[in-house]
Amino acid sequence: MNRLRQTTGDIFRWPLWLGVLTVVGLASALFGNDGWDALSWIALAIPLAVLGWKASGHS
Amino acid sequence: MTARSVKWWSRVHKWTSLICTLFLLMLCVTGLPLIFHDEIDDLFKSEAAARELPADTPQAPLSRLIEVAEARYPQRYIQVLGWDDDRANVVNVFLSETPESPPGKRFLKLSFDSRTAELIGEDAQQSGLMRIIRIFHRDMLLGLPGELFLGVMGLLFVASLVSGVVLYAPFMRRLAFGAVRRTGVPRVKWLDLHNLIGAVTLVWLLAVGLTGVINTISLPLFSAWRAQVMPELIAPHLGKPPLAQLADIDDIVTTARRALDGNTPTSIVLPTQARFGTPRHFIVWTKGSTPITSRLFTPAMLDAETGQLVTARGLPWYLRALQVSRPLHFGDYGGLPLKIIWALLDIAAIVVLASGVYLWLGKRKSSRAVTQVRAQPAVAATSGIGS
Repeated sequence: MNRLRQTTGDIFRWPLWLGVLTVVGLASALFGNDGWDALSWIALAIPLAVLGWKASGHS
Repeated sequence: MTARSVKWWSRVHKWTSLICTLFLLMLCVTGLPLIFHDEIDDLFKSEAAARELPADTPQAPLSRLIEVAEARYPQRYIQVLGWDDDRANVVNVFLSETPESPPGKRFLKLSFDSRTAELIGEDAQQSGLMRIIRIFHRDMLLGLPGELFLGVMGLLFVASLVSGVVLYAPFMRRLAFGAVRRTGVPRVKWLDLHNLIGAVTLVWLLAVGLTGVINTISLPLFSAWRAQVMPELIAPHLGKPPLAQLADIDDIVTTARRALDGNTPTSIVLPTQARFGTPRHFIVWTKGSTPITSRLFTPAMLDAETGQLVTARGLPWYLRALQVSRPLHFGDYGGLPLKIIWALLDIAAIVVLASGVYLWLGKRKSSRAVTQVRAQPAVAATSGIGS
């Protein structure tokens, strides 16, 4: 039904980048306040936004 | 990956998940209000603030606070004195009913204005819904065994995450990232959502899971450290008469500040029979000033009689690791936005856990139906966790 056949690299590309963002978000708020906190919110909000977008049926 | 290894990993994923899911669901549900415990506490309990005084008003000697507390409750034991985290110019004095004050026993908390030595609040810290939720989240009201049990559940959860990652590849071979198939049976949609949410939240789940596991062994870790340092601390005092007099508590703080320059004292444990202190020393706990070092508490030990510094070594690495792991579990280190993100991720975790159970139940039902009609290929199309 669909011809897509991904390599392992393809499969893990998105989860890997979102994971890197999560690590940045978790760590940055530990390092400092203000700017570091803001970086943490943004870095962690992106995966959540991607999740919301995909789960609501956008491809 | 060969079909055999897929089958093996499926089995690992199924069993590690099945065993821990119920407890993880409990942890996620009780954890949700705990993320906001500061805000909720503020909502229900308004603690008196120190009065408005000019900014340069000097601090009263701590010894005066101690005197007031002693005069008010002469039959109790003053165990700890601590600077309030949230209220400026407030120092709390904690008293116990017995000298040993076993773990779990609540202190009576007297709050003082640190400049006038005026008593501004008394709190028996008895019950409260949030306290019950916190204890349930920690050990299901079962004490250390419950805590260690939840630690094992946490390890199983980590194993189920790892096996989930391994299985992600064969399941996603023909699917683009985040694709959610909605045309077929609901089971397929929920399998896709389970994979999507799991993949996106994986790192957070691992971080909160592992730091949670570390927290479950905090009591044994502290006991280990205590067992290591206590003999050396107590040796010079063996066979000596009981304490004749206590050193002045304000001198104690001055000496500790000098020893740990740059750190701020957060609390003082008075000489005590209790497990969190020693009978022959004051312990002054201090913290650093950066977001990371403010989580790292360093104790200074001072002789109870002479007030001389005995040691101000940092904690061993495993207790430092424990202290740094705490914010990563609680999500309380980046303001309210971070707490909201934590809550959303927690809800996502609940969906992953619940959909996992749903997929397992559906799989059992469908494989029973399949064996009845002997139509094997139907399974392959919707298979989630191999049986």
